Amino acid sequence: MAEQAETMRSTVASMLRGIERYNPENISTLERYVELQARENTYDLEANLALLKLYQFNPGTYQNTVACQILMKALTNLPHTDFVLCKCLLGQEQMEDSNVKRIMYLHDLLEMCQFRTFWNEKDQYANLTTNIKDFSDSIRKYVCHVITITYQYIEKQVLSQLLGNVDEAALQAWMSKYGWKVDEDGNVFIANQEDTVKTKNITEKIDFDSVAGIMAACR
Amino acid sequence: MYNANEFVDEYESYPLEDAENYHYSARGEGDFSERGAHYPTYSIPEEVKKYITYFRDAIRDGNVYDIPSLYVDFNRLTEEYFKTQSWPDVEDLYGNKLVDQQDTRDDIFLILYRELYYRHIYARIQGGPTIPQRFESYYNYCNLFNYILSAETPVPMELPNQWLWEIIDEFIYQFQSFSQFRSKLGKKSEPEIEMLKESPKIWNVHSVLNVLHCLVDKSNINRQLEVYTSGGDPDSVAGEFGRHPLYKMLGYFSLIGLLRLHSLLGDYYQAIKVLENIELNKKSMYSRVPACQITTYYYVGFAYMMMRRYADAIRTFSNILVYIQRTKAMFQTRNYQNDQINKQTEQMYTLLAICMVLHPQRIDEVVQSSLREKTLAEKMARMSRNETAEFTQCFTFACPKFLSPVPPPFDSAPANYHKEPFQQQLKVFMDEVQQQQQISVMRSYLKLYTTMPMEKMAAFQDLTEDDFRNALLCFKHKMRNIVWTKGTSGLQGDFQSDSEVDFFIAGSMIHIADTKVAQRYGDFFIRQIHKLEEVNRSLSKVKVSGCVPRGSVDSPPLAPHLTSILFFILTSIVNHDAAYVSNDMVRRRQNT
Repeated sequence: MAEQAETMRSTVASMLRGIERYNPENISTLERYVELQARENTYDLEANLALLKLYQFNPGTYQNTVACQILMKALTNLPHTDFVLCKCLLGQEQMEDSNVKRIMYLHDLLEMCQFRTFWNEKDQYANLTTNIKDFSDSIRKYVCHVITITYQYIEKQVLSQLLGNVDEAALQAWMSKYGWKVDEDGNVFIANQEDTVKTKNITEKIDFDSVAGIMAACR
Repeated sequence: MYNANEFVDEYESYPLEDAENYHYSARGEGDFSERGAHYPTYSIPEEVKKYITYFRDAIRDGNVYDIPSLYVDFNRLTEEYFKTQSWPDVEDLYGNKLVDQQDTRDDIFLILYRELYYRHIYARIQGGPTIPQRFESYYNYCNLFNYILSAETPVPMELPNQWLWEIIDEFIYQFQSFSQFRSKLGKKSEPEIEMLKESPKIWNVHSVLNVLHCLVDKSNINRQLEVYTSGGDPDSVAGEFGRHPLYKMLGYFSLIGLLRLHSLLGDYYQAIKVLENIELNKKSMYSRVPACQITTYYYVGFAYMMMRRYADAIRTFSNILVYIQRTKAMFQTRNYQNDQINKQTEQMYTLLAICMVLHPQRIDEVVQSSLREKTLAEKMARMSRNETAEFTQCFTFACPKFLSPVPPPFDSAPANYHKEPFQQQLKVFMDEVQQQQQISVMRSYLKLYTTMPMEKMAAFQDLTEDDFRNALLCFKHKMRNIVWTKGTSGLQGDFQSDSEVDFFIAGSMIHIADTKVAQRYGDFFIRQIHKLEEVNRSLSKVKVSGCVPRGSVDSPPLAPHLTSILFFILTSIVNHDAAYVSNDMVRRRQNT
């Protein structure tokens, strides 16, 4: 069934070419496409932004549930800034909606990497998250991304916490997915950061060309 | 898919004559102040009459060589005769027998004349255009684009690139002006509101988009750019219309127009996407109108900033600001185009300052010193201390004038409806600033050490270890953004971190890496040496009677000696410095 979204992808892409993307008759197709993305865990940023833009041009057609779905899908694509792009296309009145406000709160938590709070409170947002297939796993992918760029090795306990207190089996699954191994001290080795993160000394390099003229004049 | 015929049909019901149905007092009766004072029929200055006749003939005969200078003369004559008054309107031209109403040969001249006439009113007349004038100007643009787009073969008209750019720029500007005007319902009278309600199609966002997209499609500009960047000949894919300079350049300028329009509506992704075939970092034949270049870089940089691609934004702003520094002399004369360029320059410096606070990195020396010179250094200091008011102020000054694409609900618009688009973009920006608040504090702590246990540093900042860890993760996350590396599309890029201060966590220890930049002496000395050479050369040309001039055969020249002395000093400083820095590094590593 994941093929449904994929076949729609090319149909939708042709709808977004040139002046057609502003045609309000495309709204219902695009709304269905968002629903498909949520159900099948696929993602199409351009189509979603185009739909939000159509809502902007035709305020009477705005559907809050669809907009919330788009925002939730944007969360699953962190660390990309898709959520910010979506926010820019909404209006002030639409931002006042209680569900939109709740999603923005989740976004704040995730952007500020307050993962423990996020996992603790996530269940309160079940009405928003259950519609999105594999929502939690997408967030865990983002958490792993942040861990990869930050840690050389991390305590197993901390890792488990950041991933939402998953059980041992799930933890092992995530670790093998990223190739993380446990070392002698019981810590999880992430990556050798020493090569990428080291003190840089930028000294001035004067090359021959810039002084060639001067040296010639010194004769 | 819109085609040219559909374009014609949409406007068929709005022939120019309908403009007269809108009420405005006929000239000669009623209040002069309503239309702005202007010369009555019998006294157009002679020089202006001659100019208009000459211009009319040039357009009639397709005299390509004279048109550019005539276009420039319009500004000169404006400064002399029409500083605060409008040019003679078309009725006056008929009255003075400068143009014959019956002669269809001059239709296109009149369209072009009106373009200049209304543009001047928008720019110079106190109080701006009246509502009928706004409508008339819109119809005039429709006529112009209709003429260009619905022709079966390319129209035999060639206008200077500067003018073509200004047509597109002004078209969008007038749309912007009308949208904002329409949203400010507070001070409008009943008849005015009625007039606006009855004309939903005028200055409609779809019409504006339609024009721009049609110009892009007609000229095949995207295909042309694709072929051009891969080294081929654009003419091979241009098609009949695209080969004609008028269409090609209008197509190109329309892409920039779309960049601007999408940015004004808050769609930054689409804004950058429309430029996907234009290599911004390369000089090309398309980029010869400075105002167009500067506008492009302004909007691209702003879009990158809102997308949190700070490194890209900084690079974009630096590039154009260096260019502007070098060509400063060009923008000194006072006209409204240069005013706009100068304003955008100031705005870009401010945006650059914001980006540098959020994402400190090294930039070009020239730009760095300009930032220091202007009052921006103070603002940057305040922003680094997380004073949100300063962020708000800077953003408000530097941002584009955002728009809503739809008219307000005339019967029930909230009080500050016209400010809502701006408020929304400001909120998105300030939310981002809020999320990054802890980062600058972290950065200053990180700079102080090379290694440090997490709990110790958390204690310094009065945070629990948990909160501190979150702040560290947030730092890493926010400093790692997408940066363009290759290809023409500005949207492409990889996640990179160019942060000056970087770190990683090993268990419960933080290892910090800083970037030390050594003092640059070489550049300074080289420049001074060259200057000295020049001075010496001009000195040696000076003949003082009775004395032997320097540099003549008998006395050895002084400069080479000085030069070699300076050069010696330079090399010894550089060598010494290198040794000093590496000693310093060793010392730091030893202090944990």
